[in-house]
This record gives sequence, structure tokens and C-alpha cells, in this order.
Amino acid sequence: MNAKRIGALALAAALTLPVFALTGCAKDDTIVLRVYNWEEYMDEGGEGSYDADYNGDEQAPAMTERFEAWYEETYGTPIRVEYTTFGTNEDMYNQLMLANEGDYDLLCPSEYMIMKLAAEDRLERYDESFFDPAIEENYYIRNVSPFIRGIFDGNRINKADASDDSTWTDYAAGYMWGVTGFIYNPKYVEYDELKELGWDIMRAPQYRNKVTTKDNVRDSYFVALAILYRDEIEALDPSAPDYGTKLAEIMNRTDEETIEQVEAVMQEMDENIYGYETDTGKADIVSGKIWLNFAWSGDAVYAMDLAEAGEDEDGNEAESELLNFFIPDECANLWFDGWVMPKGAQKQPAQAFVNFLSMPENAVRNMYYIGYSGVIAGEEVLGYIKDCYEIDPEEYESDEDYVPYDLSYFFGDTVETGSAVFYADREQAEHRQLQAHYPTKETTLRCAVMDYYGEEANENINELWSRIKAETLDGWAIAVLIVAAVLIVAVPLFAKFGGKLDFRGKPKKGYKLVKQENIRHQ
Amino acid sequence: MRLQFSRKMLGIPYAVFLLFFVILPMLIILFYAFTDKEMHFTFENFVRFFSDPSKLSTIAYSLVIALITTLACLAIAYPVAYILARSRMKKKFVLLLLFVTPMWINFVLRVNAIRELLNWVGLLGEANYFNTIFGMVYDFLPFMILPVYTSLLKIDPSYYEASADLGAGWTRTFTRITLPLSMPGIMSGITMVFLPSMTNYVVSDMLGNSKVTIIGKFIYEYFGTNWNMGSMVALILLIVVFLSTWLTGGFKEEDTVRGANI
Repeated sequence: MNAKRIGALALAAALTLPVFALTGCAKDDTIVLRVYNWEEYMDEGGEGSYDADYNGDEQAPAMTERFEAWYEETYGTPIRVEYTTFGTNEDMYNQLMLANEGDYDLLCPSEYMIMKLAAEDRLERYDESFFDPAIEENYYIRNVSPFIRGIFDGNRINKADASDDSTWTDYAAGYMWGVTGFIYNPKYVEYDELKELGWDIMRAPQYRNKVTTKDNVRDSYFVALAILYRDEIEALDPSAPDYGTKLAEIMNRTDEETIEQVEAVMQEMDENIYGYETDTGKADIVSGKIWLNFAWSGDAVYAMDLAEAGEDEDGNEAESELLNFFIPDECANLWFDGWVMPKGAQKQPAQAFVNFLSMPENAVRNMYYIGYSGVIAGEEVLGYIKDCYEIDPEEYESDEDYVPYDLSYFFGDTVETGSAVFYADREQAEHRQLQAHYPTKETTLRCAVMDYYGEEANENINELWSRIKAETLDGWAIAVLIVAAVLIVAVPLFAKFGGKLDFRGKPKKGYKLVKQENIRHQ
Repeated sequence: MRLQFSRKMLGIPYAVFLLFFVILPMLIILFYAFTDKEMHFTFENFVRFFSDPSKLSTIAYSLVIALITTLACLAIAYPVAYILARSRMKKKFVLLLLFVTPMWINFVLRVNAIRELLNWVGLLGEANYFNTIFGMVYDFLPFMILPVYTSLLKIDPSYYEASADLGAGWTRTFTRITLPLSMPGIMSGITMVFLPSMTNYVVSDMLGNSKVTIIGKFIYEYFGTNWNMGSMVALILLIVVFLSTWLTGGFKEEDTVRGANI
């Protein structure tokens, strides 16, 4: 008995130990900042980081570690970043619903999810002091691109509620942005043909089984809208002042009639495409399985870099060393990921974190690491872009082969006037990484932001998606169901009574078959 | 009051486990399936599922895919298991091992390898349903071979001798002795192949380029946006699974099984 008791006591002690350890932790005054970000969406230091490749520092610390050091130095309080990641906006949302208030301090959802969270009143506003350029630590407001700032100021966060005139800026600080388009293999695909087809590439018979799209309803819906309303979009006057508003209205239609027509378009896309993918597309286009891949610009840059290096991420040989990026003329989706603070967040360290990420040198580190384009402008960022893409016209024989590339719209007054125009290789500027990384002003004007559709429309579109993805069998669906069900019931039942049925094989040599009744009679 | 230690208390951890990881989650699924987003009781999810031809078609497709996969597995596995069990070959476990080793290699890796193989043959993107079934058969084959092999091995050789003595030929011996006595193995093989092949959407996504939608994928997608509908689909699948297990499991207690346990 005694031995058992001692054992039980030991067990009890072991169970309570972690509790003591936890209370021990809470006593010290370290702030814990809980950041919830996309997978592989921040500089993690070490091999492959900017510092490793440019400064030879293989032991470069991760962005979160840099922040911990900077914060303690600047504000005098130790801080620890708890960094977790998610795979989709919906995963993030579900996780947030399960968490308690204050479990997360900073999230990085996409624009529509930011709008949804704000509409449901789940977000903290940024402090007014966050936007004061006079404060030294306010790197975000001093360095954010005026182009991005304009979009964040100009988009209302809650379009359903006319009385709410707060904008994205009130709730979100930008992080990364980009456009959508197609990565294509110029070996098989003619640029002129793409230009003519636009988003209709998805339905073009010459690309049957050679084009993929994202396994995600919003991206496919956008493409279908662009196909459906192409004529209407092209009839708009791009120089009119309300062009952007009109374009955005078309690209955010979710009325019943539109959904019905979109379904027909999506069904045709479904029949034509090679498949839906979440992350195999990059590898598949590099290896040559497909010719065209719907992609976000950041992924496109990454895929083009891989192809240039001659192999895909698994080290398989690239099919073509040249991949291009094509942004359809009629309209493309302009997307953003931004930092928001859920209700109950610790606002001061959270905003400090956003500011820290917005230091141009840190923006460059993140951009280099993940391949997407940051919202931060400034000399360092421009320097990095020029380092990647600027060419010396002297080295070119013909002035046909290079063009001036103007990014003044993006850099605005964060850099010296006129310095954001530089010479770039014509191929680069028109077909390759540069225009994917930083599209021209003309391209961005043709882009529309995809809003949060609202609860009801969202439901309708999700149902539409499940109808597209499922192979609908009309009338005989039920018939097949019944046959299958009957088979499933029949197989075990047959097995059960099957033993009683007599399959008579041939008797062995020298034996003869005797009837069962006869045996009994004998 | 003194707490007496009794042997029954050893069962407490298991009871707690069952309560929190089996019963409670089931109840939560049941709760979600019959409520809407405002947590009000509703039959709407149920009605919506059965009034939407695309959902019924997906169930039908999943059933058919699972059925074909199971039958193909059985057709391949039975002869293999039979030959292995009956042969007097030395070191036949090496052969068995060859069939079973793929099970020990990472699942995603295997599916990726199949994907490359199908691409090389030129089927990837061309025959999505075939590819999906092919991948599933490859993946689940060991789960069919092992139980069938074990049940065949358990059959007392004297039955075969008696059968031969009484003049039964191969066909008769097989239908009267081998097949009935290996039924438990076949049944557990069927359960182990049929159920996962209705839900394993990794295979259909990777080999069918996400153009093949099975019921498991539906559940996954709904849990991104609508937990209530997702729970309803999960519940319906649970019922289908329960029915087929009941049908196969109920069989196991019958007298024919006894022979295999000798």
C-alpha cells in the first residue's frame, strides 16, 4: 500500500510541476507578442537569407529575433515573439474564432479577410500616433509607398454599412502586395495569342489540359467574371476619372444572375483546364507538364527564378530556362496582405512590430527571402530593385532592347525625384520578373481589388464552387447511388450465404461425383 | 475517507480518453450538423445535402471509386496472399515483405512518385479517375494482402488433405474450404480499404489534379467556410461507414469464422 501511495504522490508531483514552471514564467516582465502569419512569409535568417547571400552572414538572425533585440533597445522592455503560421485565410479565421480574446496580437490576412474581420467588429484600430511621421520609431508611415497608402485610404472597410466611413488604413497596415496573371512557357505559347485571349486562356481549346488555376474559389470566380464581362470592361474609358470605381463594381458583382452566368463559364473552364492546384503549379510549369499557370505575382517571380537556375525546387531539371509572366490587359486582381490587430491585442508592441518590419532594410530582407513585393518604398528598396534589374544602356547594341522603367508612382517622395526611373532590359520589363515584381502604373490602373462579398453572397459562391468541383450526374446520380449501395449490401450478404451455394468443380481423377441425397440414403 | 486503490481504477485513463476524444467530438459533430451559424436547431443542412444533385453525385462517385478500389485490391491481393500462404517456398516472408514495405515509406512521397510515373506514361491530366483509383489501389494494397494472408495461413492443412481424400478438386476445395475460411481476412481487408478510399482526398487531389472530388474533400472544403454543413457531410459519411462496418462486422460473429480461429 505504501509503495503505491508514494507512487501516486510522485505522479501528482510530476503533474503539478509544469504548472509551477508556468507561474514562474509569468512573474518576469517580458512581453510576449503573438504574431500569426502566412507560412514562409517572413525572413527566417540563416541560409538563403539576404544577409547570407549578400554579406556572407550564414548565421543571420531571423526577423523576429532582430525585433526582440531592437525592441528592448528602443523601449527598454524585454520582449519575446511567439510566431505561428497558417495556410489559408479561412484556417486563420477558424483559429481566431477558437482562440480567446488576447491570444493573438498581430495577424496578416488578405484584404477581403481584413474587411470581413472589420465588418464583424473583431479588430482594434491603429492608434493615431502610429501615423505621426514626426515620431522617430514610426517607420511605417514614413516609408510606406504613396501608391499603397492611396489604396488603403481610398477603400472603405465596411462597404455594406454606409454609415461606417472608416478605411483600410484605420485597421490595417500593408505588408505585401501584387497582381494576378499567368506564368507561361514561351517555348509553346505565343505572347500575341495570350494578349488576344486575355483571361479566356482558361477556355481556349489550344491550351486544353495545359493550363491550371488555383484550387480556391475567389481566384477562379474573379477569372470567370473577367471572362464574362470582358466586353463591358473593355468598353470603359481608362482615362475617365471614375474608371477604377466602375471596374471595381464589375469585378465584385455577386448578384444571382451573375453567379448563374459565372457558373456556366466556370464549368467550361473546368472542362478545359489541366487541374486545380494549391502549390504544385510552380513545379509543374518548371518541369514542363503545363504551359500556363494562373499565379500570384510573387510566386511567378519565384518560378521564373527557379527556371533560370535550371531546376525546380526538388532539383529536377527545368524543361525550359525561360518562363514569362503575363498580366491580361482587360483587368487583373490587385491583392494585399496586411497586419491587423484582433480585439484584445497588445497594441503598443504590435504596432512597434509593424514599424520594425517597415524599416526599408528589413523590408528588403523579407522581400528577398519570400520573393513577394513589399508595400514599403524608400531608398534602400529602390536600391535593391535597381540592383536586380537596372541595366547600363552602353552595353546594349540596339536601343530597341532596353526601355526606361518608371516606378515613380510607387516610390513617390520617399526617394529623390526622378530616381525611380531607370533603364531595364526590354524582355525583363515586358515579360519577365520586373513587371511581376513591380508592375507599371498602367498595369495597376487596370487592376481591381476583390472585396469581401458578405455572408450571403459568400455562401452562394461557395455552393457554386462545390457544384463546379463535383461531377454532377443529373438524373442517374441516384441510380448509381442505389446500385453502389445495393452492391455494398449484397457483397457481404452474398459472402455470408455464399458458402451454402455449391460450386461444383470437376472431381479428382479416380473419383466420381456423388449426389448429396444419395449419401444420406446409404 | 480513504481512497482505496482498486484494479478498476486502471480503466479510468481509458474512459477519460474515450470520453474526450471519441464521444465528445462525435456529439460536437452532431450538434454542428443540426444547427446553423447562430446555433439554432435546423434541418436545413440535411435538406440541402439531399436536395443538391452535386452532393449526391459526389457521394455516388466516392462510393463507386471506393468500390472499384476495393475490388481491384481484392482481385490483386487474394491470389498473391494465396500463393504466398500455400507455397512451400523457403523464405516466403521476403516476398511478403516486398509487398508490404511500401507501407513503411512516407505516404506523400509514394503519391508523388506515382504522379511522376503517370506523367511519364502520359496519363496525368488525361484520365483523372483512372489515376485516382490506380493511386488508391497502390496505396491500400498492403492493407488487403496482410489480413487475407494471415487468415489463409491460419487454415489447418488437414482440411485440404481431408478435402482431397474425399475427392474434391481444386475448385471445390477453394469454394468450400479456402474461401469461406478466409472470409474474416477478406472482410477486414475490405473495411481497411473501402473506408479510407472514400475520404483520402490527397490521392485524388494529387493524381486527379483536384478535378476528382470525393466526399473527404467536401468535408475539408466546408470546414474552411461552413462548419455546420461540413459536420453534416461528415455525419452522413459516418452513417455510410457505420452501415458498411455493421454489415461486415456483424458477419464476423457468425459460425463460419470459428474455423479460422483454430
